[in-house]
Amino acid sequence: MKNNILVIGGGPAGLEASAVLSRMGYNVILAEKEKRLGGHLAKWDRLFPDQTPAKEVLDGLLDGIKDVKCFTETDVNSINLLDRSFNAMLSNGITILADAVLLASGFDMFKAEKKEEYGYGIYDGVMTNADMEQVFREGKTFSPAPKAIGFVHCVGSRDEKAGNPACSKVCCATAVKQAIETKELYPEANVYCFYMDLRMFGRHYEDLYLRAQKAGIRFIRGRVSEVAETSEGRLLVKAEDTLSSRPVKVTLDRLVLMAGMRPSEAGHKVGRQLNLSVEEDGFFSSRDGFLSLQKSKLPGLFYAGACTGPKTLPDTFHEARSAAMEIDRYIKENFRK
Amino acid sequence: MIYLLTSNILQISPEGIIDRYPNSYNHFVLPFVIGISFILVYLFIGLVRILYHLTGEDRIKLLKSLFKPKTAWKNIKDIFCDCLLHTKIWKRKPLLGYMHSAIAFGWFLLIVVGHIEVWLFAPRHLSGLTEGSLYYPIFYRFFIWINPAHETLRGSVFFFIMDFLLLYVLSGIGLAMFKRVRSIALGMRHTTKPSLADRVALYSLWLIFPLRLLAEGFTADLSGGGFLTRPLNWVFRAFFGNELNFLPTWWAYSICLGLFFLAMPFSRYMHILTEPLLILMRNAGLKVRKPRKGFAEAEIYACSSCGLCLDACPMNVQKKNLKYSSVYFIRFLRRHNKRKTREIADKCLMCGKCYALCPVGVNSPAIRRALRETQNNNIKCDYSYLEDASSKSSATLAGKAGGKILYFAGCMSHLTPVIIKSVETILKASGQDYEFMDRNEGICCGRPLMLAGRTEAAQKTIQANSRIIRESGCTTLLVSCPICLKIFKEEYSLNGIEVIHYTQLVDRLIKEGKLKVSKSSSAIVYHDPCELGRGCGIYEEPRNVLSSVAELKKASKERDESICCGYSMGTLTLDEKDKAKIAESSVTSLMAENPDEIVTACPMCYRAIRSKAEVPVKDFAEIVCENIEK
Amino acid sequence: MIDFGFSFSPSSRINLDKADKEKFLSLAALEPDVLKCMACGSCSASCTAGAFEDTSVRKAILSLQNGLSDDAVKLLNHCMLCGKCTMVCPRGINTRHLILSIQKIYGK
Repeated sequence: MKNNILVIGGGPAGLEASAVLSRMGYNVILAEKEKRLGGHLAKWDRLFPDQTPAKEVLDGLLDGIKDVKCFTETDVNSINLLDRSFNAMLSNGITILADAVLLASGFDMFKAEKKEEYGYGIYDGVMTNADMEQVFREGKTFSPAPKAIGFVHCVGSRDEKAGNPACSKVCCATAVKQAIETKELYPEANVYCFYMDLRMFGRHYEDLYLRAQKAGIRFIRGRVSEVAETSEGRLLVKAEDTLSSRPVKVTLDRLVLMAGMRPSEAGHKVGRQLNLSVEEDGFFSSRDGFLSLQKSKLPGLFYAGACTGPKTLPDTFHEARSAAMEIDRYIKENFRK
Repeated sequence: MIYLLTSNILQISPEGIIDRYPNSYNHFVLPFVIGISFILVYLFIGLVRILYHLTGEDRIKLLKSLFKPKTAWKNIKDIFCDCLLHTKIWKRKPLLGYMHSAIAFGWFLLIVVGHIEVWLFAPRHLSGLTEGSLYYPIFYRFFIWINPAHETLRGSVFFFIMDFLLLYVLSGIGLAMFKRVRSIALGMRHTTKPSLADRVALYSLWLIFPLRLLAEGFTADLSGGGFLTRPLNWVFRAFFGNELNFLPTWWAYSICLGLFFLAMPFSRYMHILTEPLLILMRNAGLKVRKPRKGFAEAEIYACSSCGLCLDACPMNVQKKNLKYSSVYFIRFLRRHNKRKTREIADKCLMCGKCYALCPVGVNSPAIRRALRETQNNNIKCDYSYLEDASSKSSATLAGKAGGKILYFAGCMSHLTPVIIKSVETILKASGQDYEFMDRNEGICCGRPLMLAGRTEAAQKTIQANSRIIRESGCTTLLVSCPICLKIFKEEYSLNGIEVIHYTQLVDRLIKEGKLKVSKSSSAIVYHDPCELGRGCGIYEEPRNVLSSVAELKKASKERDESICCGYSMGTLTLDEKDKAKIAESSVTSLMAENPDEIVTACPMCYRAIRSKAEVPVKDFAEIVCENIEK
Repeated sequence: MIDFGFSFSPSSRINLDKADKEKFLSLAALEPDVLKCMACGSCSASCTAGAFEDTSVRKAILSLQNGLSDDAVKLLNHCMLCGKCTMVCPRGINTRHLILSIQKIYGK
């Protein structure tokens, strides 16, 4: 008998874990709330640090889940623990009895309109990192060609007022990547990055930073605090250049907000039904911070990916694979004696 | 018409009233006489001290106002309505209002009618202290004997009235006792903890009237009595026989009165005597200048410590912050506790709700500001740059804004670009000629400095801005921030340039037909910003407009009872977490009728409410823009 | 000091050994927020007074930590307490009260 395993969330973590679990011989059922699989990865154009097309990675992931039962546009309506197994009712009417559940609900993008002073949704020229990826992915261009573009790091991250004091980890590298791509598209444009601290921590990230510097991108160490509109409809951006200790203002045509990661609302809905505990930042709390990272407090329920905090794609894939191994061990210990 | 009946032992007046005591004196009056003398001396000294601490200018202002017919009439009306009838409490909480008016107005009438009775029936006793005028009318029933055969209709009417009034007061006292046990029944969630003097005064006040009933009941067969005292007398006779020893109850009655007056200056009940003075001073247009002396002292002693401000204070959402309410602030001020008063003064949001709802009208935000002034006004600063800045700004505006609207967005609106953009859209759509005063660089209006107690510094920014506004030649100054609006209206002298909030302008534009809006099906609720509503009295204009662009729902607390959003510029020390709690409670009140959207008209409120609301939050101008008919 | 008729130009190097840590700690005891600044510059960027004169809460805090209290007071001299810095501070520092406290403690 094949054990049923329910994977909630069809983003990178859910897809990779499903692939590994199905290779191990489990009967994997994947529920994804959106129309297509891939999560935020499916909306991205290219990935840092080496600008690998997101589609390549996604296709690789989808190749691995041929034996997985995927339900898209499907919510988990209710889920509860019966004795040893989980009973889940999906919105498509299917009820599943799963011996283990992997929660891979990922993250939601921070709603940039919450930072009123940046004018997202008010000024036409203000957009988010996700909007920018869409532009790249669809091969659109701005016309007239922008003369100046700015990238604001830490929008809704490291910000108590926005309800998220933590760093979202990936925005710095994303901003530098997008800045380079923008500069490649519009070599004449002045490109600025407004950062608080540049957190280029991963392998090859520093190279990306150097590439950006060489491309002539101007890095200003200061957080943008005000965006106004000039009489010509351009954006007047105010920040402090903290390195020269002077307030700066610059007129831009586009301002790209690096919206951070917030816990997924859909994930919370599942978490509430199972009484899963979340930490102060809103992300789920693992059983411990070192040896049981993928385990929840509930036996048989595991985590992978950004549902336990912001993560890069490689981190997410590591977690997905180790979650699969933890699930395998759990099933063997509890169901195959 | 006074003549002697039996030598000089019994004197008889025309109604057949006979003095039972030759000199109209008995030792039991002593506690009362001591008490009333003490309070009268105390009052006199207090009055002199308050007047002494007023500035000369204020004293003259006060004196003049007393003789101005209009103010004099207002004084009488206010004293009658506020001190006796307590109309302000009636309006909000009828049962509580009845309780207060029963005790205050009832007691007042007892004294007045009692004196009239004495004046009519024993005129001799109103002349001179030695004849007992201080206590005689109070204990009138003890000193006289009326031959029942001589009782006239006139006398009976008084017996009835006096007993009726006593019943009226007793009903109030009964409610007051009930309120101690269950305050919520009278509409109060929080009540203050009474101090020792409060307790002494309170319990003696409670006892005064039942004891009066007992005492007058005991003597009713001699002095005569009405529908209360006479039957009571029959009951006593039935129990104790015909020989009633009634002196102890009169002693008890007098002791309670004396105790009450002795405890009064140290208790909350001082408000009874101070409130009329406060009314006179307020109607004279005096302002709080020092936090503890002069006018402020009158305000402090006029506080009845009723605790209505506890329910009003937006900080009451957290129990730990109840101690920052006005009632405790005033109490600590009265006790000269500097550390506590400073702490409370700095914490306050200055939302003004306690002032708006105070039955006495104690302006504690003004006292808090005055206290902040003693701490912060002398901080060294350098505002020399403002002159230069205002010249530059004047030069750029010169000749451009003549005869037009001058729009001052203010510091905070620059952090909410949606407001600026929407206001400009409305101005353009309605064909208004306008000039932007602070598109790039502006000078602060001065209200935040003022609220922090830095009055002198605020004057510098006021001067700088006044110059720009006056020299621009504009006819109307349009502001989108209620904080700015308040100070522009109160502290600026702009040579007749109209200062107007954008909610007022939009209302006017729609009425004049210059702006056409259509009604959407969305259900909205409007949050009254403190500075706009309680601060400037603007409640109707935004509602007029909003009800023509959407379906306007009600909040559980609105208009002058609206709950501050928590982001007020008024507080100096309240931390982010506490502010967030207040924002939450404000949102909860707004969501009472489950509206689709929340609308407000202040950049601070906009940000605060957005941070907590689950439904979309829009600015007033934004929602108007969405519904402009093209 | 003996007057030699000439002077060495003062070093522009900040000497942390000489910074008055006691006074800063007493400020921090009163205003724990002062330790929370991460120097993002939002306050200076939106500062109303900063558009005219050198005004910065961020720099003032840094100056105090470096023992340059005169500089700190000068940087806040022009402040109009408008509160924009409080609104934009991502760490939720109560800048307005901090400014008042710095002025009161170091301004004498």
